[in-house]
Amino acid sequence: MSADTPLPIDVRTEMRSAAAWLADGGSAPSGRAVTSDLTIDEALLLHSIGWEPVELVFGVSVTSVPVGVWTWGRGEISTASDAHNLAVHTAAERLGRECAKAGGHGVVGVQVSVEVTPHHVDVHLVGTAVRPVDGKKPGQTFVSDLSARDFVLLSNAGWSPLGLSFGASFIYAPRRDAATAIRQSSQNIELTNLTEALYSARESAMERMQASGLAMAAQGVVGVRITEGPMRFARHVIGFTVWGTAVRLVADNHVYLKPDMVLPLDDAVVQFEAQSLRGR
Amino acid sequence: MSSPTDLPKDAESRLAELGHGFFTSDLSVNEFLLVKETGFHPLGFVMGSSIYHTGIQGRRWSKSQELSKLTEAMYNARELAMTRMEEEADELGADGIVGVRLDVNYYEWGSDAAEFIALGTAVKAEDGKSYRNKHGKPFTSDLSGQDFWTIMQTGYVPQGLVMGTCVYHIAHRGLGQTLGSVGQNIELPNFTQALYEARELAMTRMQDEGNALGATGIVGVRLEEKSHQWGSHTIEFLSIGTAVTKTTGDVTLPRPTVIISLDN
Repeated sequence: MSADTPLPIDVRTEMRSAAAWLADGGSAPSGRAVTSDLTIDEALLLHSIGWEPVELVFGVSVTSVPVGVWTWGRGEISTASDAHNLAVHTAAERLGRECAKAGGHGVVGVQVSVEVTPHHVDVHLVGTAVRPVDGKKPGQTFVSDLSARDFVLLSNAGWSPLGLSFGASFIYAPRRDAATAIRQSSQNIELTNLTEALYSARESAMERMQASGLAMAAQGVVGVRITEGPMRFARHVIGFTVWGTAVRLVADNHVYLKPDMVLPLDDAVVQFEAQSLRGR
Repeated sequence: MSSPTDLPKDAESRLAELGHGFFTSDLSVNEFLLVKETGFHPLGFVMGSSIYHTGIQGRRWSKSQELSKLTEAMYNARELAMTRMEEEADELGADGIVGVRLDVNYYEWGSDAAEFIALGTAVKAEDGKSYRNKHGKPFTSDLSGQDFWTIMQTGYVPQGLVMGTCVYHIAHRGLGQTLGSVGQNIELPNFTQALYEARELAMTRMQDEGNALGATGIVGVRLEEKSHQWGSHTIEFLSIGTAVTKTTGDVTLPRPTVIISLDN
């Protein structure tokens, strides 16, 4: 998929060989069975760009957070932010290593699960390692939470995923003093202390995500998702985490896909909900 | 917080990085490709938020009325979030913001405090033409990447996300009325009327915003009814949609290919 190898892959032949391969029981050339959480459609799509699934791979990391950091303090809780950062990076690195060991060149469809508890940050990443059928190395190993379908679409448009870009920040929001709280109780007013804390948490997290993207020499981050709000166990700490897949244009130019308009004649599936009878 | 000069320290370096061709976006891959297909390039994931304390307003048990103080709060807080988001996009030199989402989150900070948040992806036209609206600001639109592609094919250009809101208290029925309607099929005129009026107010306000932008129409209008945390008889009616104007003459749209999928 790199710029100098625009291989004219015959989609029909690839699909046929993929179907034959699947009908054959899907045994890998090396003799090892292939595990993957891809659907048949996705496996076929991967074959359409000359890639195949290799193995289901995992990356897990649990990082401890020092006791008491959530309760008192001012400004950013950098130990928590660092712990989050470390856990994510270690997990992603392990995922990449496991992928390389399985002979893959990238991981797609990574399910990201991050849990922040008072004493530790747990990160679980699960995805399917993939590789080009012809055994060529397309550059560095990548990790991406894009589905196989999205990976194929991006490849067709000339883009390649590089890795997961993450950022997190936890900020201690100052409390209002009692007099202010009482004075404001009947007013329409913005709570600037909380708004500002949220803003700085967000800026730090976004900045870290961008920095990690730039470190991978990415041109952008797509599919960015965020979680934000006070921590469940510490109401006055505002957490902001953000992640997405860093991507880079590997073809000379963006390839326009020129979609056709289609109109499916399938009836919309109407699901009957018993609750609707009760006026809900 | 309202001017970029008092954005936090990290914001400046972040926006500077985005100025050099690196982008972030909450668009899915489908939407990203479609936005590119339309001739736009994403610039950055932009967001505005405000944590807002809504005041208290007395309401009469048996009177249907608009609660103007609460309406004002809902307007003001959303406006703050939207304006901040637009400022970020403006800072990036964007032509518009697509896929805007407006959310209200309630946390445990107290019953009357809510977070109003506006999120979207700032985009810029690749052909160098300006698609800003008549106020010289980037357009905003809650259309998804798919809808954005489709509407641009028709020659319409989004101008802005417009909304109207009305917080309304719907009167309870008196004992006499309740007893009078037991066992009967009957319309409850006071409820019907109150709901009508509140909806009309919200819709009218949205249309006024559309007119102010010189729009020829509003697409994708949604009408949401939320009780937030005010109990069952106080309801916020929110109507929201994207104001659009026609910029080109007649467009011949390709006839869509009719398909029937063999799934399920």
